[in-house]
Amino acid sequence: MTPKTKSAIVLSLGLTVLAAGCGHPQNISQEETGRGVTNIKMESMLVSNADIPVHTIVMPHDEPLFPPGRGREEFVTACVVCHSPRYITMQPRFSRATWLSEVKKMQDVYGAHISDDQAVQITDYLFSINGKASTGKGPKGTYGE
Amino acid sequence: MDRRGFLRIVGATGAAALAGSCNRMNSAVGTLSSPTNLIRFPEKTEMILLTDRPPQLETPIHYFRQDLTPNEAFFVRWHLEGIPTSVDLRTFRLNVSGHVRQPLQLSVDELRSRFDPISIVAVNQCSGNSRSFFEPHVPGGQWKHGAVGNAKWTGVSIKSILDRAQVKAGAVDVSFNGLDVPPLPSIADFVKALSIDHARDGEVMVAYSMNDQPLPMVNGFPLRLVVPGWYGTYWVKALSDITVLPQAFSNFWTDKAYRIPAGPNGSESPKALAKDTIPINRFNVRSIFVRPEPEETVHPGIPNEIEGVAFDSGYGIRRVEVSTDGGTSWADARLDPEIGKYSFRRWRASWTPRNRGQYRLMARATNAVGDTQSKEQWNRSGFMWNVIQQVDVKVD
Repeated sequence: MTPKTKSAIVLSLGLTVLAAGCGHPQNISQEETGRGVTNIKMESMLVSNADIPVHTIVMPHDEPLFPPGRGREEFVTACVVCHSPRYITMQPRFSRATWLSEVKKMQDVYGAHISDDQAVQITDYLFSINGKASTGKGPKGTYGE
Repeated sequence: MDRRGFLRIVGATGAAALAGSCNRMNSAVGTLSSPTNLIRFPEKTEMILLTDRPPQLETPIHYFRQDLTPNEAFFVRWHLEGIPTSVDLRTFRLNVSGHVRQPLQLSVDELRSRFDPISIVAVNQCSGNSRSFFEPHVPGGQWKHGAVGNAKWTGVSIKSILDRAQVKAGAVDVSFNGLDVPPLPSIADFVKALSIDHARDGEVMVAYSMNDQPLPMVNGFPLRLVVPGWYGTYWVKALSDITVLPQAFSNFWTDKAYRIPAGPNGSESPKALAKDTIPINRFNVRSIFVRPEPEETVHPGIPNEIEGVAFDSGYGIRRVEVSTDGGTSWADARLDPEIGKYSFRRWRASWTPRNRGQYRLMARATNAVGDTQSKEQWNRSGFMWNVIQQVDVKVD
């Protein structure tokens, strides 16, 4: 983390209890300049900067629980560090090949700390809870989706 | 935070979830086949839950009955686990650096007081909006049609900020980084870039206000990049760094992620994937039904008002046609006055079904340069869905 973010971020993970509101801008007058762009004159844009300079939220946690099964421990250890298991439950049922490509993407592209053996076990687990029989070659995952 | 400490906290929050801090009862694996999950995040109303960490929240369609999507209902999509949850405006600075003569560190107050503000009403849409409708299904956020919203953005143009920073000759790209951080050092920080000419077009802007309110934290408080007509991946949230570059920008999120087939409408065949890909860029044309909603029942013999919103990348919507017989016949819908060329354009039609039964409604938008919607479409990433929407309703 860079110094610029250190001062500005609290990764609260639900531990931060401070909750503060934020002020609302007021008294805006507008003049159209065409092309969808509007110039705005602010007579008094009331912002709570001076009063409540720190704006903080507390993130809710609503993560699904997972049934026992081969590969569950590897899944819980390696995957939920970076994302909620809901990344699995929101997907439609995929073929084993598609799940394997997702796990390999996490391993090879995002650097998840899993061995090839663990990748197979995690794939088995994902397939067992959200898989479907293969109907030929399913689409492989891509990036940034 | 080291990895061990991180794991300890994740374990603690897992325990908290077990102890009943969930907003809903239905949290077990049974949600695999359940219908819509709603969740309330800070500063947000109840939204459709795709994922909670990092959050991906979808707007329920009925909010599009309003021209400006309320901030509390505006969709949310983050990439990296480390999203900002606290911002101290006394220390927060927007850093402008790189290939400039005068680097800047601007507080939010300075952005408000030292620059001329502009406002633009513009649609922001996730690249993967409607991904769940692609066949065959593709992995990724399984959005329906609600990863989109229309808001009035107020702030400062990137042009005026860069003019103040005095860009040196030979600038090529401008990169934009936010406060979010990767959970592992091996994961690329989420940074996006625009060409120097695009960044300086006078419309690309830093917004400190959304619908005349500060942005909700999960929508990018305190500052968000606004790139009118372009997909949401460029609209960097919690914007903290603008860097002018004398060479083309390159990173994972541009070189590998968010790429589309180079062919027409970013489309390809599952059987023959496109070899050439390009970064996703401008919106294509599309229309979304607002009412009736799918599976809604309407009544025969009386006029039913049907309506939707259409938008494109800024050429402007010129025509929306509606079919109530599954595409056999089409009639022009009425267009509401244009709010702005990047805004939702609302369309309306009155429909009096004579008989009871199942009907298939369709709507097809066309823009000022004659672009219209797809009849079929697929790509490996599930991006840029703009197939003519079909809504099946029961008349009873």
